[in-house]
Amino acid sequence: MHFTKILLAEDDSDDQKLFLDFLDNRDDLFILPIVENGARLLEVMDSMPPEELPDLIILDQNMPQKNGLQTLDELKSNPAYHSIPVVIYSTYADAMLTKKAMEKGADMVAMKPLNQQGYHEMMDTFLQLCQK
Amino acid sequence: MEARHRSIQDYEYELELLRSQLEEANETIEAIRTGQIDAIVVQGDNGHQLYTLKSADHTYRVFIEKMTEGAVTLNNQGLILYCNSRFASMVNTPLSYIIGMDFEQFIAADQLSSYKELFGKAWTEDCKGELSLENENQFMPVQLSLTALELDEGKALSIIVTDLTRQKNNEQQLRDNNEQLAKMNEALELSNNDLQQFASVASHDLQEPLRKIMVFSNILKEKYGKELSEDSNHYLNKIIDSSGRMKALIIDILNYSRLSENNTLLQPVDLNELMHELLEDFELSIRDKKATIQVGKLPFLHVNRGQIRQVFQNIISNALKFQRPGVDPVIIINSKLVKSLSFDSEEDPNGAYALISIRDNGIGFKEKFATDIFALFERLNPKDKFEGTGIGLAIAKKIVEKHHGIIKATGKEMGGSHFMIILPLNQQ
Repeated sequence: MHFTKILLAEDDSDDQKLFLDFLDNRDDLFILPIVENGARLLEVMDSMPPEELPDLIILDQNMPQKNGLQTLDELKSNPAYHSIPVVIYSTYADAMLTKKAMEKGADMVAMKPLNQQGYHEMMDTFLQLCQK
Repeated sequence: MEARHRSIQDYEYELELLRSQLEEANETIEAIRTGQIDAIVVQGDNGHQLYTLKSADHTYRVFIEKMTEGAVTLNNQGLILYCNSRFASMVNTPLSYIIGMDFEQFIAADQLSSYKELFGKAWTEDCKGELSLENENQFMPVQLSLTALELDEGKALSIIVTDLTRQKNNEQQLRDNNEQLAKMNEALELSNNDLQQFASVASHDLQEPLRKIMVFSNILKEKYGKELSEDSNHYLNKIIDSSGRMKALIIDILNYSRLSENNTLLQPVDLNELMHELLEDFELSIRDKKATIQVGKLPFLHVNRGQIRQVFQNIISNALKFQRPGVDPVIIINSKLVKSLSFDSEEDPNGAYALISIRDNGIGFKEKFATDIFALFERLNPKDKFEGTGIGLAIAKKIVEKHHGIIKATGKEMGGSHFMIILPLNQQ
C-alpha cells in the first residue's frame, strides 16, 4: 500500500491542528512534520532524499519569510520539485490570487473552509491531484 | 528806486497778470498735450509768429495721451523731455515736475543697473525689460519698451511703460493656487492610498479571526450540538449567522475598495452573452421564486467584464430579493442607444451611449430614497427580512461611474423599481 505524503506549510497553529485532526482519521496518509513557512519548507525538502519527497505540497498564502506564491515560484523553477502538485490555500482567495497562482503553476487554489466537513472535502479534492 | 514806491495795488495787479498768463500758458500746454491744436500763434517782438509742432500728428498725440501705458521721451542724458499723464500717475508725481527730471530717479534703486544696461542698449536696437518703478517706497512692476528716435534736435529715446502689477499679481496668485492644488492633490492621494490600504489590510486581517470564530463555532455545533441545550444551540446559531454576515460585509468592503485601484482591464463585451451567463448563475433562485425574466437585445460595450457583470448581478439579485409578498417576480431588461450621457437624451440608433433599463415588480422604494439607495451601507429594509450588506448598489454605482456612465433608480413603494444605466459604448 502506498502512503501519500503531504507536506503542509502553515504558520497558524489552529490551522495546523485542523490538519492534524484530519490526518487522525486517515490511515492512508503518511505524516510529515508541518513546517511553519515557505523558507522552512524549502530547507526541509532540500534535505530530503528524492524518494522521501512529498506527493503533495499545501502552502498557506500568508506566511512570514516566504509566502505561498514566493514558495510556489521556487518549487516550480526547481526541476527536482517541478512535478510535485502544489496547492495554495488562504483565508481570502480572490480572483487576483487565483490568477497569479495559476500562472505560476499552482495546481489548485482554495479558500480555507469554515467547518470540518468543508475541510475534509477540501483535502479530498487536493488528494485527487496526486492520483493523476 | 522806483520799485520801492510801488503800492500793494501794483503788486496785486502784476500778480493777477502773471496768474492769467500762467493760466493761458497752462491751457496752451494742455491743448498741445491733448492734441487739440496743431499750431500756435504767439505775439512776439516782430509781430505774430506761427509755431507749428513738429510731428504734430493730432491722432497720435491723442492716442498717446489716452493710452493705458505710460509714455516717456528721454534725451541722450536720460532726462525726460516728455511724458504722458498716465506715466505721471504711475509715479504719482505732477506732470509739470516730471519734465526735465532724470528718468533714473523713478527706477527702484536695486534695479538701476539693469535700467542702465537697457538705456545703453536701446540707442542701437529696440529692447524690452522688466523692472520696478519706485516713488516714495511705492513699487510698481513694469515692462519698459525702448526705441531710439531720430529727431531734428538729435537723438531721443521713447519708452513705453506697461504696468505689470495686475499681471504679476495674477501670476503670483496662479502660482499660489497651483501650489495649493498640488498640496491638496498630494494629500488626497495619500489619504486615498491610506484608505485603500486600510480597507485591504483591515479586510484581510479581520478575516482571519473571523474565520476562526466561524470554524470553531461550526466545529462546536458539529461535534457537540447534540449535547447542547436548545437554548445553547440557538445562541450558537446566532454566532454562526452573525459571523457569516460579517464575512459578507468584509468581502464587499474589500471589493468596493478594490474598485478605486487603477488596474481596469477593458475589453469588448457582448452584454447579451454576459446576461445569459448571469441568468444561468441565478437559475436556482429564479426557479425557487418562480421569477420571469425577459431580456431584450443588449449592446456590445467596451468595459471591464467582471465589473460590469457585478453591476447587473447586484441589481438583478436585488430585484429577485425584494419580491412583493405573494407576487412572483418579473424582471424586464432592455436597452437602446442614445445621443448623450443624460437620462433625457433621445434615442439615436447611431448614438455613442447605451441606456440599459432593468425593471422589476418588487417592493420598490419611496421616491425620496432614490439617491440614498446608492450610498454605502444604506439599507432601506430590515435585515431580518431581507439579507444583504447594503454595499451592492454602492458598488454598482462606483463601477458605472468608473466607466464614465451614470445610474439612477426610480420607484414607488410596493410599485417596483426601475434602474437605468447609461454607459458610453467605448471608453476613451
